[in-house]
Amino acid sequence: MQPHGTAPILELKGFAHTYLEDTPKANEAVRDVSFRIHPGERVGIVGATQSGKSTVVDSFAHLLRLTPGQVFYRGEDVAAPGYNRGRLRREIGIVFQQPESQIIEDVVGADVAFGPTAVGLSASETRERVEESLNTLGLPYADYRLRYVHALSGGQRRRVAIAGVLAMHTPVLVLDEPMAGLDPRGRKELLELLIKLQRDRELTLIVCSASLTDASLLCDRFIVLERGTVVMDGPVREVLSQADRLAELDITLPEPVVGAREMQKLFPDFPTDLLTEDELESALLERLGSA
Amino acid sequence: MLELQRNVIFGQFVETDSFVHRMDARVKIAATSVLIVASFLIDSFLGFAVVLPLLVVIGVVSKIPLGYILRGSRIFIAFLVFILAFQVLFYPGDVPESSYLWRWGILSVSTEGLYTAGIIALRVILLYYVTTMLMLTTSLVDLTNGLELIFGPLQRLRVPVNELVLVFVIAIKFVPIFIEEMERLARAQTARGVPFDEGGTLTRARRLGRLLVPIFISGFARADTLTIAMNTRSYRGGRYRTKLRQMRAKSSDWLVLVLVIVWIVIAWMV
Repeated sequence: MQPHGTAPILELKGFAHTYLEDTPKANEAVRDVSFRIHPGERVGIVGATQSGKSTVVDSFAHLLRLTPGQVFYRGEDVAAPGYNRGRLRREIGIVFQQPESQIIEDVVGADVAFGPTAVGLSASETRERVEESLNTLGLPYADYRLRYVHALSGGQRRRVAIAGVLAMHTPVLVLDEPMAGLDPRGRKELLELLIKLQRDRELTLIVCSASLTDASLLCDRFIVLERGTVVMDGPVREVLSQADRLAELDITLPEPVVGAREMQKLFPDFPTDLLTEDELESALLERLGSA
Repeated sequence: MLELQRNVIFGQFVETDSFVHRMDARVKIAATSVLIVASFLIDSFLGFAVVLPLLVVIGVVSKIPLGYILRGSRIFIAFLVFILAFQVLFYPGDVPESSYLWRWGILSVSTEGLYTAGIIALRVILLYYVTTMLMLTTSLVDLTNGLELIFGPLQRLRVPVNELVLVFVIAIKFVPIFIEEMERLARAQTARGVPFDEGGTLTRARRLGRLLVPIFISGFARADTLTIAMNTRSYRGGRYRTKLRQMRAKSSDWLVLVLVIVWIVIAWMV
């Protein structure tokens, strides 16, 4: 689903990055990645470990040493001299793999307020945003506002981290492995929440994952990375139809697709571009009916 | 961006499979100790000039790029310059009136002050260089085994050698891990609007303070995890263990040690 006619909000042109370049510890993480993301898109950046996902995410907000001419936000080169990086980071909200690392304050309320305060919002506006963000994430404001972050569970801490980013009201929201370490209920809740948020706020949503299980329900488009290059880029169903290739790349497939691949032993042409169990069921019934 | 890993290489190990890397760890530790002692004994510029070629030889043979070492020592050198500026300005010694170059209240610059500061600088740099080189060319396992073997005889005097060596090695090897962790934290906080990559040196340094509490917390968590990991594997220190790979010093290793000792004695004598 690429809305044509609109300018891309994020664009990578031949992006490459080597950590600790020119040292004996140099590590080439991304070799050549190019793609465009349009406003309002829901994109999954998918790949096994070491595929370069996190490096790509860091490049969006200029959190790495960048070569000019490779990363563009709203058509502007973010690595150009004099580019306002502060503004860029206020427009691109990133929730990292380990939420602990981005929690700055000790107390939940203070941490969620950090971003809005730094931007210069008034106290009452900040309070409003904190309340709204915490409530949205199922952490009732009155109850959680004064709790210590270190006394929270892993799942709650991740919610605090997301709330801190949401409170910034960024047009772009990037989540790196948002479901890792959550129990099935936590996953389901977060998934529903993200879908709702994306719709209500018309966010550009980017989700990074090594697993397609949740990403296939959340995204419309997948960009598949392998060892620092883009190997597939297209609508979710199109990518899922190449299930064998995805499995080769060590990417965890959604359960309906796993089922479909089993079915291929019986029906070699069984489709794999299935998102839900209902779709799997009807595809199966169709085969059985015709057999 | 904040790139600490580039600017602090203390505690890193870089494999280049050079002659220095293949040397017996015990001999390397012994040679390093000789050079550390030398840094205290030598007290003239000429002496240090004699040592310099030896350091160059070590550097070249180890195949570790000089640029990497220099860039990785930037913060250390800046710190050293800062300390030495105080040493010169507040030089406490008895200085004849003729050797003052500049004076203002209790602050002064004298030739004696400059000379002492120069010697101290060379001593600290020598100390830093040899210990950094030892760590750059010796893996964690070799370093631990080497130290345990060297201090092994103290075991008879009930000195807990294995435990002490372990604590020492872990302390050193945690430095790069902490640096990586600090970088990660700084990146995450930058994303939330703490600009670690903007402002002057002082502002940047002050912002690093924000990382101290999370670093402490993660440090304790890491130590805790390590303890549990060691306990679950019934770690009891090296004296209950045998080694698959015995360390054997080659004759060339001994030759190097003798060469270093002779070289240092000459430098000390001049």
